[in-house]
Amino acid sequence: MRDTGISFILNGEKVTYEGKANDRLLDVLREHFHLTGVKCGCKEGECGSCSVLLDGQLANSCMVAMGRVQDSEVTTIEGYSKTERFKVLDRAYAAVSAVQCGYCIPGMVLASECILSANPHPTEEEIRIGISGNLCRCTGYNAIVKAIKIASEEGNGLW
Amino acid sequence: MVNGIVATDLKEALIVRAQGNYTPYGGGTDLMIKSDRNARYLFLHKVPEMKRIVEDDRYIRIGSSCTFTEVLQNPRIPQLLKEAVSQIAAPAIRNLGTIGGNIGNGSAKADSALIFFVSDSLLRLASVRGERVLPIKDFYLGRKKLALSEDELIVEVLMPKKGLDNYYYKKIGARDALAISRVSFAALLEISEGIIRNCATAFGAVTEVVFRRPDFDALLIGKTLEEAKHQKDSYLAAYEKALVPIQGRISAEYRKVVCMNLLKDFLEKNGI
Repeated sequence: MRDTGISFILNGEKVTYEGKANDRLLDVLREHFHLTGVKCGCKEGECGSCSVLLDGQLANSCMVAMGRVQDSEVTTIEGYSKTERFKVLDRAYAAVSAVQCGYCIPGMVLASECILSANPHPTEEEIRIGISGNLCRCTGYNAIVKAIKIASEEGNGLW
Repeated sequence: MVNGIVATDLKEALIVRAQGNYTPYGGGTDLMIKSDRNARYLFLHKVPEMKRIVEDDRYIRIGSSCTFTEVLQNPRIPQLLKEAVSQIAAPAIRNLGTIGGNIGNGSAKADSALIFFVSDSLLRLASVRGERVLPIKDFYLGRKKLALSEDELIVEVLMPKKGLDNYYYKKIGARDALAISRVSFAALLEISEGIIRNCATAFGAVTEVVFRRPDFDALLIGKTLEEAKHQKDSYLAAYEKALVPIQGRISAEYRKVVCMNLLKDFLEKNGI
């Protein structure tokens, strides 16, 4: 059990973090890797603004200790925004003005990805369950639900 | 790795646990809220013995490191447990949170623990000294007080396979997603040839540990529905007297009324 760093894949690249295993993934992403698309809202898993993909699954990065990340794959909005799927979501969110202040949006977009990767043609109910851990104080959610619906129709074959 | 060890099998996990200075880390969703800068974690998500969901002739054996999402996706898991787990938090937390963490956190509000109480499930605990199997009701000694030795880990939950089909479950929270239970209630009723073969009831989030009184339920067991109706008043009176909810963010009176309403609804829905 030598003291080596914590290695993982971050947005497609292999990285090593030399800090502590009990450090919070959220803090490490923002302060060490300068990925500030990951937002800090509540630090207790209530708001979803710090959502990332951990091995393809939605996770609140405020509730993940760095040791848990070793040998895993972490994708933040910075990495995800380079994908074709992002472009579809981006257009759909813009089409129905689903973004207002924007603070929740990185998390919302990653939650959208998880909804569509689990089921390319979700029902409204499934969409609402999928974003149920992501709070938005501006939109009232309806525009976001609509955007995900549009992305599911337009992203033919991508999910 | 500084301040943490990722165990890759049970033996390694138990050796590290026996050193005494590592906190078992299930999904992190409770631990990280009050994260201490000097905490040292024993990560258990890669221990194969704790990641399995298997069954033998009597039990479904659920590894303690299984996440809520894994439980929901597994065809072996009974519907009652799925219903309770599907109402825990939101997808991102269900992807991380584990069965072992939910139990090991020692809260009477733990929604999966309630189901293990009502089904009289057992816990398999292990340490470098050996292992033991304990009924879950003997595991909870008080709020945040567990019958878990400093060197022990929860390895799996043994959930009885039979008698889980006719269930009643309700969680009362402030909203749908991300709600901590204010009152939760689970019940099982098994009837064959007109006779109540088993009745089990349990309340979560109202007392220091999950409230489970098999001696009350015994009033209905062995009875026909007609006979059970005659016992109903004494059954409800026993609960009315014994159930003393804690006062928290919401009042004890509110909790009590909700508990009794749920109990009555369970009986009425079953024709009692």
